[in-house]
Amino acid sequence: MRYVRHELWRRWSRTLVTALGLAAGVGLVMGIVGVSNGLSNAQNKVLSPLSSVGTDIVVERTVGVASTSSSTSTTTTTTAPGGFGGGRAGGGGGGGFFGAASGSTSQNASDEAALANNNSSVLTDLSKLGAPGTQFTYDFFVTGTLITFPQAAVADVAKIKGVQTAVPALSLQALHESGTVPTITDTVTTGGQTITKAVAPPPLTAAQEDAVRACLQASGAFGTTTTTAPGSTTATTAPAGAGGTRGSGGGGGFGGAAFGAAFTKCLPASYQQYEAQVVVPEQTITRVLNPPTTNTETKSYTVAGVDPKNSSSGLITKAQLVSGTWFTSAPADEILVSTAYASTNSIKVGQTLTIDKTNYKVVGLVNPTLTGDVSDIYFDLATLQSNATQANRINEVLVKVGKSADVNTVAAAIKKELPGATVLTSKQLAGQVTGSLSNAKKLASDLGVALGFIILAAALLIAALLTMSSIAKRVREIGTLRAIGWSRSRVVGQIMTEMLGIGIIGAALGVLVGLGVCLAVNTFGPTLAYSTTGVVVGASSASGLVHAAAAASSVGKTVKLHTSISALTVIGAAVIAILGGLVAGLAGAWRAARLSPVSALRDLG
Amino acid sequence: MDDDAAAVALDTPPLYRLRGVERHYMKGASEVAAVSGVDLDIASGGFVCIEGPSGSGKSTLLQLLGALDTPTAGTIQMEDQELGSAGDHVLTEIRSKRIGFVFQHFNLIPTLSAVENVALAMAPHHGSRAEGDERAKELLIRVGLGHRLDHLPSRLSGGEQQRVAIARALANRPDVIVADEPTGNLDSESAAEVLSLLVELQQRDGVTVIVATHDPEVAQLASRRISLRDGAVVEDSSHQSPQHAPRHVKAGEGALVEDDSHQSPQRASSAKHVEEASDRNPSADGQPTG
Repeated sequence: MRYVRHELWRRWSRTLVTALGLAAGVGLVMGIVGVSNGLSNAQNKVLSPLSSVGTDIVVERTVGVASTSSSTSTTTTTTAPGGFGGGRAGGGGGGGFFGAASGSTSQNASDEAALANNNSSVLTDLSKLGAPGTQFTYDFFVTGTLITFPQAAVADVAKIKGVQTAVPALSLQALHESGTVPTITDTVTTGGQTITKAVAPPPLTAAQEDAVRACLQASGAFGTTTTTAPGSTTATTAPAGAGGTRGSGGGGGFGGAAFGAAFTKCLPASYQQYEAQVVVPEQTITRVLNPPTTNTETKSYTVAGVDPKNSSSGLITKAQLVSGTWFTSAPADEILVSTAYASTNSIKVGQTLTIDKTNYKVVGLVNPTLTGDVSDIYFDLATLQSNATQANRINEVLVKVGKSADVNTVAAAIKKELPGATVLTSKQLAGQVTGSLSNAKKLASDLGVALGFIILAAALLIAALLTMSSIAKRVREIGTLRAIGWSRSRVVGQIMTEMLGIGIIGAALGVLVGLGVCLAVNTFGPTLAYSTTGVVVGASSASGLVHAAAAASSVGKTVKLHTSISALTVIGAAVIAILGGLVAGLAGAWRAARLSPVSALRDLG
Repeated sequence: MDDDAAAVALDTPPLYRLRGVERHYMKGASEVAAVSGVDLDIASGGFVCIEGPSGSGKSTLLQLLGALDTPTAGTIQMEDQELGSAGDHVLTEIRSKRIGFVFQHFNLIPTLSAVENVALAMAPHHGSRAEGDERAKELLIRVGLGHRLDHLPSRLSGGEQQRVAIARALANRPDVIVADEPTGNLDSESAAEVLSLLVELQQRDGVTVIVATHDPEVAQLASRRISLRDGAVVEDSSHQSPQHAPRHVKAGEGALVEDDSHQSPQRASSAKHVEEASDRNPSADGQPTG
């Protein structure tokens, strides 16, 4: 033992090099394990909201494009009538969806109809907001991509065997609009002008001429008979020349003023008045301006209605409460706010928020969660239903299954019970986590294992080679030990003990190296991005349909990689280092055991 | 003492009895006989010198006598134990208990102090470390290194190192000390010290000393000189030489001290050894040259 100690101590450089070889290997493996664990933790952290609330299955309804895309694209045209039928059925149910299961295509059609129906409330006539110039603040609630369905579905799900709890939830996208009611009409006054127009009357007919003549004669405009007026012959021979007649009349000027008065009197009515004035009636026209120009600002956020009585399961649970309290027994004017939304908007517990002209008290802050429950504000379900004019309608059922083994069976049963429903299990949700996190996790698990083995093998090889070389240098020494009476087993024991010592030193250093690697990763390590898809309200293009300003809230998030080293890992690493030392020692001992005592007489060098 | 030793020698079988010993090595494709056809009896208690030029096989013979190696053919009887066919365990046991080997290059463990090096030889035997250290110290004091107990070999002179090596060889109270060129790496003064130490061991403690050497000084001290050439014994003579036994050691009896007067007068006490040698080892005498 003393020999071992002295060997190790006085040949410290060799000891250190060999131990460092082992330490480097073990340390790196520890680092890999730490990173891998860290990634696992990160992934668990991402998914933990779902698992922590104990939700095994989420039942919801989205536009089923993704799941039936291929059949839809090829059959839409041919089955269009069916699609209409489905649409009608959906409409008949007030957008309800459970009765509209007539094939995926019709399902899609009805889905889209229902979605449009659900989101229609936002198409608001601004004129209804008040007199122009008044300030308005409104909150509109739209369903985004998650179509609502009757709350009765909860009871249907709850009846399914194996379901422990089924909790309703209504996740909505909210648009908060504020601004001044715009001047949306203007007035135009028209009419009142006088219009003058020249009219050319038609020539006198023969009958009218005769009548005029007779009239004139009767009125005694002529002083004598026709014998004294030769021109009258002309007049009779030219009946069509009215001018002539008038000329004759003019010629009859010698008839004096009495003639003029008689002539005027004898003309037909249409000649007596041949000029008219038209006065257009004055009127005022009020016209709608389109589009109105306003200073309206729109902010979008997400809201959810949860069952206040269910504090242990559902979208949000009491366990996720960070500060404040859960809904009280009178939850109608109470809200819970996610910590993220609270911090960006400086909302504190006890504060009052005005939403859609109603004051709500923030009773608590809850930890933001990711899958299916990203809402910023949580209402009492009934309150939100009434605000969003979605009475007795929900768009999510969160199901907790009694036994985890039953999850798939129950999911299948729900699908059967509620045709057209999207049934997501937590495992599927986990699969929807994508991005660098899942890539890194995969990398760490696939490459990490291989890398770990390679590094360990390299470390062992290095240690073994160093040991072999050390034995080669100690041939004479080992021969001497044999020559002075040491047995083979004692020599082997000596070398193994030395390597055990090196292994222990390597273990200690390796653990330090490993912890150092992990610390370095924690300090300088990457931030991992991840995103979830498909289950988050407002995440799809449907929100663009709703309002251009209501940009879909990004669901891509990041999580800091934090390595995790357990005591077990440390112990495992230490054991590996020590075993590595012993394996290397075996290589050296095997060599040493074969040395003859005669080696003691070998020449130096 | 000499008489006693001689008497013992007469009544008991020789320490070594070699018959037809061959030791061949493979050198490339051809087989080389380092030792061939050696018949030899070596009595207990003598100071035997094995001479011969390089390559004569004296080192190989010494390795066989030191139980470091086994012969290719023939038998080596060490009293009642046949070494030629013995297994590693037996040889290890014999090396440990009956033989002390001294090397030309001292072969001390460089990482261990003088005491630790000596105690190392006692490690295979039961006994506490304290006991081992205690005996190691006694032995080192006996070889005149009481002031160097905790020095590492690198801090000792060649002569001191070789004395540590001799103390190590004595650790388990061996019957025989087998030394391969023990003075080969030493200056003459250190060599003289080491030689007188070996002589004292032989004379005072009755330890058989077998030395392979070039050194004529050593040869002169020997009670018996065996000359090898090409692996065979060419000459085997018991010394009548008046100088062969260093008497001066007697003066310092009880404490082997550094003593540079090894050329002092001698005794002719080995007559019986000679007799014994010639009686028991006729074949050695008759060994043909070559």
